[in-house]
Amino acid sequence: MSDRDNTAEKSEATPVEGVEGKYVYCIIRNDRSREFGEIGIGGGARVYTVNHNDLAAVVSDTPIVIYDPTRENVLAHEFVNETVMREFTLIPMSFGTVFRSDNDVMALLKSTYQAFTDVLDKMQDKIEFGLKILWDRDKVVAAIERENDEIRRLKDEITRNAASSTYFARMQLGRLVEAAMEEASNRYVTHVHEQLKDVSVASRSNKVIGDRMILNAAFLVDRKAEKAFDEKVKEISRQYEDLLTFKYTGPWPPYNFVNIKLKLEKAT
Amino acid sequence: MGLLTNILLAPFLGPVWGTRWTLEKVDRVVREELTDDTPIKEDLMALQLQLEMGEIEDAEYVRREAEIMQRLREVREWREKYGMSTSGGPVRVAEGDETE
Repeated sequence: MSDRDNTAEKSEATPVEGVEGKYVYCIIRNDRSREFGEIGIGGGARVYTVNHNDLAAVVSDTPIVIYDPTRENVLAHEFVNETVMREFTLIPMSFGTVFRSDNDVMALLKSTYQAFTDVLDKMQDKIEFGLKILWDRDKVVAAIERENDEIRRLKDEITRNAASSTYFARMQLGRLVEAAMEEASNRYVTHVHEQLKDVSVASRSNKVIGDRMILNAAFLVDRKAEKAFDEKVKEISRQYEDLLTFKYTGPWPPYNFVNIKLKLEKAT
Repeated sequence: MGLLTNILLAPFLGPVWGTRWTLEKVDRVVREELTDDTPIKEDLMALQLQLEMGEIEDAEYVRREAEIMQRLREVREWREKYGMSTSGGPVRVAEGDETE
């Protein structure tokens, strides 16, 4: 087994002797150095900038390690970005990105200068909100039975003739309910998107998690429209109060709307 | 005697080729499974959601998170063994490349 493997096996990040690296949180536009306090990953490391022209990488010192995406580590990464975001438009880096030195970080800023600049222009004063919608299956089924005559009739029939009702009738009911649920899910999601269209710049749907989620989306919102977006989400969640659970988070850095493919390689 | 001999001396080429083909296929499937962290990441997201929805206690979250981290580390090790890319760890700008 190599040294790397040994490092990876320990549950917490373990330093390779005497080597100091730079953990990079995000890229901002700022032509002088800045301090953001002792809030970094790995137990409150000092967070500061490495600069190149008018670009700056927000970093903290770190041993050269692979950070597990534990809640603690991910929250530390996010907390730094949230702090920076209060003052700056930022391009978030992937969780766990570690460079060996200031020089390597500057090489990144230099080689990707144009792409970073373009994206920072595009993302100027934009923030992201997350919206997950979950449903309560039983309640949705009950609503469908109320609204759908065919399903209600078939169900009544099966209940009345419990003993003689056929396997086929039950199968058919199951299929009808499934189809009606899918239709309902699409209808809810479309309705939500329609209402948020005017108060957001863009949206992205991610894969749903688990079997109760019907929407897992991110919305890019102009800072000026933050309040309007917020109010709209609250209004929609009131419309669906009895049926759906809304999980609304943010503001975030534009994690889902920045896609710069960095040409990075393993530093050995 | 009879049955065992039949199996041992069974038509040579067919089964041997068949076995090799199957083993290669199994190897590929196993490799794909060993080196794919997508389902593990999905498990982590599902776990976080359960905590957020108040379906599990913090202690259970911590315990299951540790299991998931272990699985992620195992996948990372397999990826390294197979010479595949891994996330995390020190990086630098790839030489001679301008990013578009």
